[in-house]
Amino acid sequence: MLPLTLSGVSISFPGLAQPVLAIDALTVPGGGRLAVTGASGSGKSTFVNLVSGLERPDRGTIRWRDTDITTLSESGRDRWRATNVGLVMQDFHLFPGLAAIDNVLLPARLAHAATTDVKTRALELLARVGLSRPNQSVETMSRGEMQRVAVARALLRRPGVIIADEPTASLDTEAGAEVSRLLLELAEQEGATLIVVSHDERLTERLDRRVRLAAGRVVDDTAPGASS
Amino acid sequence: MIRFVLADLRRLWAASLVIVLLVALATAFGVAVTLQERAVRLGSARAADKFDLIVGAPGSETQLVLSSVFLQPAALPLMSGEVLTKLAADPRVAWAAPIGFGDNFAGYPIVGTTNALVTGTTSGFIEGDMFAHEGEAVIGSGVDLAIGAEVKPMHGQAGEGGETHADSIYRVVGKLQPTGTAWDRAILVPIQAVWHVHGLGEDHDHEEAGHDEHAAAGHEVGADHEGEAAEDHHHGHIDADAAIDEDFDHGVPGLPAILVKPKTIADAYALRQAYRAEGSTRAIFPAEVLTGLYATLGDARAVLMYVAYGAQALVAAALMLIAVIHVAQRRRQIGALRAFGAPRLAVFGIVWLELLLLVAIGVGAGFAIGYGAAEFLAGLFTAQSGVRLPVEFTADDAMLAAAFLAIASLMAALPAALAYRQSPVEALRG
Repeated sequence: MLPLTLSGVSISFPGLAQPVLAIDALTVPGGGRLAVTGASGSGKSTFVNLVSGLERPDRGTIRWRDTDITTLSESGRDRWRATNVGLVMQDFHLFPGLAAIDNVLLPARLAHAATTDVKTRALELLARVGLSRPNQSVETMSRGEMQRVAVARALLRRPGVIIADEPTASLDTEAGAEVSRLLLELAEQEGATLIVVSHDERLTERLDRRVRLAAGRVVDDTAPGASS
Repeated sequence: MIRFVLADLRRLWAASLVIVLLVALATAFGVAVTLQERAVRLGSARAADKFDLIVGAPGSETQLVLSSVFLQPAALPLMSGEVLTKLAADPRVAWAAPIGFGDNFAGYPIVGTTNALVTGTTSGFIEGDMFAHEGEAVIGSGVDLAIGAEVKPMHGQAGEGGETHADSIYRVVGKLQPTGTAWDRAILVPIQAVWHVHGLGEDHDHEEAGHDEHAAAGHEVGADHEGEAAEDHHHGHIDADAAIDEDFDHGVPGLPAILVKPKTIADAYALRQAYRAEGSTRAIFPAEVLTGLYATLGDARAVLMYVAYGAQALVAAALMLIAVIHVAQRRRQIGALRAFGAPRLAVFGIVWLELLLLVAIGVGAGFAIGYGAAEFLAGLFTAQSGVRLPVEFTADDAMLAAAFLAIASLMAALPAALAYRQSPVEALRG
C-alpha cells in the first residue's frame, strides 16, 4: 500500500519544444485509486513509464513512500519495480508457448524469486481471476482470459501498487467489465494502491479520483480534497 | 530461465532447426576431414606394420609400397632373382619372402609368396591350414570363398580382366584371421606356383633370361599387352601335388618385391644401406615412405580444414546476423520482460543461452554426422581395399569442440548485450 508523491516532475523528448509531461505536484495516498485520462498524446503513457520507474524524468522527484525512484540506477529501478509494481498492459505481453501458470511465474523465476510460497500463490491467484486450468497454454485462451492471466501475474509478488495501462482497451465490453471488476476487487483485497490509465469510463468512473491530462499537463482533477 | 528458453525454441522450432543444421553441417565437414585423415594415417600405418623392409628394383618408392603393402595393381620393374638368394642366406635376415603379383581371381589379387611371409604377417587361421603343395591357396578373411573352392587364376591385375590360365587351378585350403590390411582381400599361393603358371623357374638354365620382364610378378598389364599376350606368353601350368620348395638357393626368376624381416633394428638399417647402395636394387622402410605420404596428406587436410574454417566462419557470421535481427524483432518482448521485473542479466542470459544451446546442439550433431560420414567412407574404402581405417575421436577433438563452444559463447554475447542494453520503454512504445 504505497503512497505516491510527485513533485516538480518534467520530461522532454529531443526535438519537441514542450515537455511531454510536466506535473508540479501530485499525491496519491496509500491504497488510493487514481484514474488518469486524456487524449492520445496527452502524456498518459509517459506518466505510466515515469511512476513505474521505466523512465527517469529530466527534473523532479517521484517518491513512493520513502523511495525516490528518480535516484535509482536502471538496474535499481528494475529491482524496485519487480518487488513493488504490478503492471497490467493493453497488449497483455504474455509469452506464447508457456502455460498460464508459467506466464504468471516467469518474472519471479527470472528474478530468482519463485519460492514454493510464490508458486502456491500463483495457483491461488489464477483461481481468483477465474481460470481453472493453470496449465493451459496462453495461445489457446480468449483475450479476456489472457488479460486475467496478466492480472494474476501483476499481483504475484504482493506489489504495493498496481499500474494498469489501458487494461480494457483491447477487450470486448463483457471481458473489459470483468477485468475492471477484478482489478478493483483484487487491489482492494490486496491493499494495493491502484493507478489506471484508461479511456474506459465504465472503469474510470468507479475510481476515487480522476486526473485528466492534456498536452502533458493536468487539466482536470475531480476528486474531493485533491491538490493539483 | 531454461523453461522459458526451451518454450521459446520450441515455438521457433523451424528457424531453430535451420540454425542447428547450418552449424551441424559446417562442423561435420571439418570433423569428417579430420577423422578421415586420421583414419587413413592410422589404418595405413597399421597395414604397413608387419612390413619392415622391402627390397625392389630401382623406381618409385611410393609405388613399391603401394603395390606390396596395399596390393595396388601397378607395373613394377623387376630385379634379379639372385637378390632373394642372397638375402635368404644373409645372417642378418630372419626371413625374406618374395611377393609376386600378376594374376587375379574374381577381383581378388593372387599373390605368390611363402610360408614364412604368411606366418610372419598374420595371426593364424580362422579355418583350414597353410598351403603345403603347389596347387594350394590360402585366402584372406575378406575373400568370399569357402575352403575347398577352386581358384582359376586370371592373368592381369584385379579388375582389369584378361586371359585365364585355363589349365592351372588352385584349391583353397585355409582362411586367415583378419589383419585389417589389403592382404585380407588377397589369395595367397606358393610363389613357385606363380612362376610355374607363367612358365618360369621350371627350366632355370635358359628360360630365365628371356622371361624376366614377364615374370610372374611383374606383369605390366596394358593395352599393348593384350594382343601380343597370346603368342608372347609362355604358358606353363602348375603341378598341383608338387611339394613346395622355398630354398631359393639358385635359379630364382626376376621379382618385383621382397619382404625382408631383419633380425634386429640395427640389421634393418644395415640391410637398407646395403641394398640401397647396390645399383640394381633399392631398399625401403614402408613406414618411412608412408611418413612422407602423410606430409602430403597433411597438406591436403590443411587445405580442406581451411575450407572448413571458412564455411564455419560464414555460418558464424550468418548466425550473428540472424541473432541480431532476431533480437531487434523481439524488442517488445524483451522490453516487456524487463517491465515485468526480469533483471537485465536474466534478459542477457536468455538470449545468450538460446543461441549457445542452438550452437551446442549443432556442434554435437555435427560431430555425429562427421563421424558417421567418416565411418561410411572408411567402410567403402575397406570394402574396396581391405585396409581397415579406424575412425576414432581423440582428445584433440574434444578440444576442438570446446573451442567451437568457447567462440560461440563469445559471439552469442553480442546479441545478448544488445538485448541487455535495450531500454524497456522504447521496446514497449515500438
